[in-house]
Amino acid sequence: MAVCAQAQTSPLPLPPPVEKALAARASHVTEVTLGKNMLTFASKFMNGKNKDESATSRLIQGLDGIYVREYQFDKPGEYSMEETEQLRKYFETSEWSPLVREHARKSGETTDVMVKLVNGETHGMFILSAEPKELTIVLILGPIRMEDLGKLKGLGGLGALGDVEKNTGDKDKEKEKAKKGGTQ
Amino acid sequence: MDDFEQELRRALERRLAPLSLKRKVMERRRWRRMQLHGHAALWQRLAASLLLVAVLGGAWKWRQAEEERRRGEAAREQVLTALRITSHALDEVNSRLAAHDRAGQE
Repeated sequence: MAVCAQAQTSPLPLPPPVEKALAARASHVTEVTLGKNMLTFASKFMNGKNKDESATSRLIQGLDGIYVREYQFDKPGEYSMEETEQLRKYFETSEWSPLVREHARKSGETTDVMVKLVNGETHGMFILSAEPKELTIVLILGPIRMEDLGKLKGLGGLGALGDVEKNTGDKDKEKEKAKKGGTQ
Repeated sequence: MDDFEQELRRALERRLAPLSLKRKVMERRRWRRMQLHGHAALWQRLAASLLLVAVLGGAWKWRQAEEERRRGEAAREQVLTALRITSHALDEVNSRLAAHDRAGQE
């Protein structure tokens, strides 16, 4: 088992037994724990001339923490659905709203994106992506400016969060249309 | 010869210098030289000490800055790693949603 990165020893605000159990079974673990102080410190070292890093600097300056755990397993079935359910349940509070929830029965892949909304603004994001041999947990706490995320072209998918929101938004609109069409 | 002339003669009379005069003059000269050298040595020592303090202080400062830079670079790398993983996860979400949409349309 290899631990790639750990900036701070402060734990991920998730149930620790689950985290420990997953880490014990994984063949490769990537852990990144960055608190507010560390993020502020890191933002000073971002290259202002690089557009991506400049946007990253702005993005992380206001954040309270970034916690990332990536577990890679040698073979499928090394983590249980109960474990992912435990993680999911941790965020099933009134503060957090699900943005994406997908479960593919055939492949066993599940995807969850939850956002913490405070006065209509995103103040946190939780991503749980479970594949048979890989489990990714991302927790970002603090105000997330979507316009800054969109500027992160070099960091491919981060700009895609806007697309995720757009996709889910479009789906909602389609549902509403279908409802209206059905009642007419 | 009046009193004045006598007094003048006495004043101008050749007299031998006391035996200790040369030694006293030489001693005084040596003492003054030592004083001068002593001051110069003191200043030199002070300047050397100041220079040493400045060099040591500078080295310590440089080491501190270097350490801070190294920690900053490490933190920056951590942030970029975290965002890369987040980015990858979001990419996956997007592609799954797109696949789901395609399947729904078919």
